[in-house]
Amino acid sequence: MTTYNELAGFRVNYLSADPTLNSGNEGQVWYNSTTGKLRSLVQIKSWAAGGSLSTARRALGGAGTQTEGLGFSGFTTVNVANTEEYNGSSWTAGGNIGTARRYLGGCGTQTVALGFGGQGATAVSNATEEYDGSAWTGGGNLTTARNGLAGCGIQTLALAFGGYNGTAAVANTEEYDGSSWTAGGNLTTARYNPGGAGTQTLALGFGGYSTANTNVTEEYNGTSWTAGGNLNTTRRSSAAGGTQTAALGFGGYSTTFSTTTEQYDGSAWSNTSNMATARTGLAGCGTIQAGLAFGGNTGSVSAATEEFTSSINVTTAAAWASGGNMGTTRRAMGGAGTQTAGLALAGYSTNYVNATEEYDGSAWTAGGNLAQQKTNPGGAGTQTAGLCFGGYLGLTATNSSETQEYDGSAWTTTGNLGTARDQPSNAGTQTAGLGFGGYTTAVTNATEEYDGSTWTAGGNMGTARTNLGGCGLQTAGLAFGGRTTVNVANTEEYDGSAWTSGGNLNTTREALGGSGLQTAGIAFGGLTTVATGATEQYDGTSWTNTTSMSTARRDFADAGNSSSSLVGGGYIAANTNATEEFTGSFVTTTASNLTTS
Amino acid sequence: MALFIYGTAINTGKNFFTAEDRRNFFLRSYPGNVWVVGNSEKGALWLAEKNGVEKTKAEAQAIVDAEVTAAQAVYDALPEDQKNRPGFNQRPTAITLP
Repeated sequence: MTTYNELAGFRVNYLSADPTLNSGNEGQVWYNSTTGKLRSLVQIKSWAAGGSLSTARRALGGAGTQTEGLGFSGFTTVNVANTEEYNGSSWTAGGNIGTARRYLGGCGTQTVALGFGGQGATAVSNATEEYDGSAWTGGGNLTTARNGLAGCGIQTLALAFGGYNGTAAVANTEEYDGSSWTAGGNLTTARYNPGGAGTQTLALGFGGYSTANTNVTEEYNGTSWTAGGNLNTTRRSSAAGGTQTAALGFGGYSTTFSTTTEQYDGSAWSNTSNMATARTGLAGCGTIQAGLAFGGNTGSVSAATEEFTSSINVTTAAAWASGGNMGTTRRAMGGAGTQTAGLALAGYSTNYVNATEEYDGSAWTAGGNLAQQKTNPGGAGTQTAGLCFGGYLGLTATNSSETQEYDGSAWTTTGNLGTARDQPSNAGTQTAGLGFGGYTTAVTNATEEYDGSTWTAGGNMGTARTNLGGCGLQTAGLAFGGRTTVNVANTEEYDGSAWTSGGNLNTTREALGGSGLQTAGIAFGGLTTVATGATEQYDGTSWTNTTSMSTARRDFADAGNSSSSLVGGGYIAANTNATEEFTGSFVTTTASNLTTS
Repeated sequence: MALFIYGTAINTGKNFFTAEDRRNFFLRSYPGNVWVVGNSEKGALWLAEKNGVEKTKAEAQAIVDAEVTAAQAVYDALPEDQKNRPGFNQRPTAITLP
């Protein structure tokens, strides 16, 4: 038997444990003597769902990258002119192409793209159009009008090859210089609907249909085409990304709609992870490391987008999990602390309560009682240095200005809020707290800053509101959602003296929770017209949806940070004692066991 | 094949459902201890392991409707000043199961 030493020229490292895994270990092989396994850090390749096209379609053009993709024109039940731009998660409308068509060629980037040829409403097209990120303008016409052609390169150094001229498959190659097309070397195998990747001078053409589907691959050097390694799966109308020596080909039609994905290394194709959605006539772009597939024909027109990733890292999706149930079922609480050292205080069960509960990451236990029974106070700080202020004193039907500090066992009354209020939101710590918004005799925009003993006025919010979410620090606070006379989605950012507007929540709501920082915040739950479990994460600019809570609810206790949050209690159609714990998405680098074959 | 399994189960707290469960299948709870679970082997196994009682969609919806109706009655019986208190008491609205 051939040994690794004979093959590689050196021995495999003999280690008692896996080394620290990072990109420096990629491709290395070692023997883990503890587990008795031959190990390696290899790239993991997979497709994941992306945001759907607004217009489902097939036979569309594509360009760009996985995070800056472009889809244009194509066919629904008629040729369409729509252009859509992808930002890595969703598609938005771009400018319409001048000549709506299907089976056209495309190349370039999202903001400097080229579309050419295709099948018009009545005839094959030679039209070329150039995209500048917002509008298409006419370029020089192809010499040979055709549909089903492939394209690669950039707007000013593009390549078009193959296709169908209305009568037969063609072998023509044309090169574009930014204004006109000139003839290049012909393909050896005339074909239409091939896949294409690479540049004008280092191109790759594969598959397609000549007199039948073909698996033939050809490589272009700027002058002529030579044979490359054949596809493993013979097919037409697949999409591609990458370069001549590192290409990705995916989807198409073999004997049926295909999910098959293959990668090319400059000489041979090898199979890799398949797409989830079998389809033909799709568009694609990107690289062998980060590809993008969108649209196509699944039997009907498709809006599906999929993202291909090849990485040594695995991303685990964010998720909510159940925590220990609260001792007292209730809603309208304040919250503070972290996911593993949380605090829930006050609220309403069958009456107003002053009870505090402490969470240790698995169970709630009783803490010291607040001085007064109240609902919807502000809560900030930690489990052993907590802050509770404001709220509604149900027994006297008055708003509260009371402030109390928690030391892990008992509450002590300190300086009152300047403005007594119900449903304030909160940020900061016990010695540097922030209270904002709420309800006095009307919704308020008043902000107050706490220094550990007294409150002083801060800058007013732009939008007066109550029952809003909040997080962050006294000098970097975040306010979001809430209710004016209707629910709002507004976000505002505080810098220690003034509020400025941020990106709106995707789900307009009140009675929501929040945790984290101004540039890494999270909003969850609340009330739209019904209780919601919607969860969104803020990056300092905009909110992005993530996984929802299992139990939709409003008016709960909240704690934690953007990657490790806690929700306790709340209300849906009745009070609940259910707890949920949020864990944000995380990336791990994992070595694989090597097996014999 | 139906998208969801419907059932009732009591949330016992920590580890009743895990982050891995949530990544593996759809899972939502509704009033009346109603759970809507993604119709997969893992989803069905989860409901069984939690001593869940499988219901038809109509049965599950009826349980939720009864809970909402009861909550609406509680709201309707509140004094006017409590009803009008912003953000605290709002009349529960119908919930439609997916």
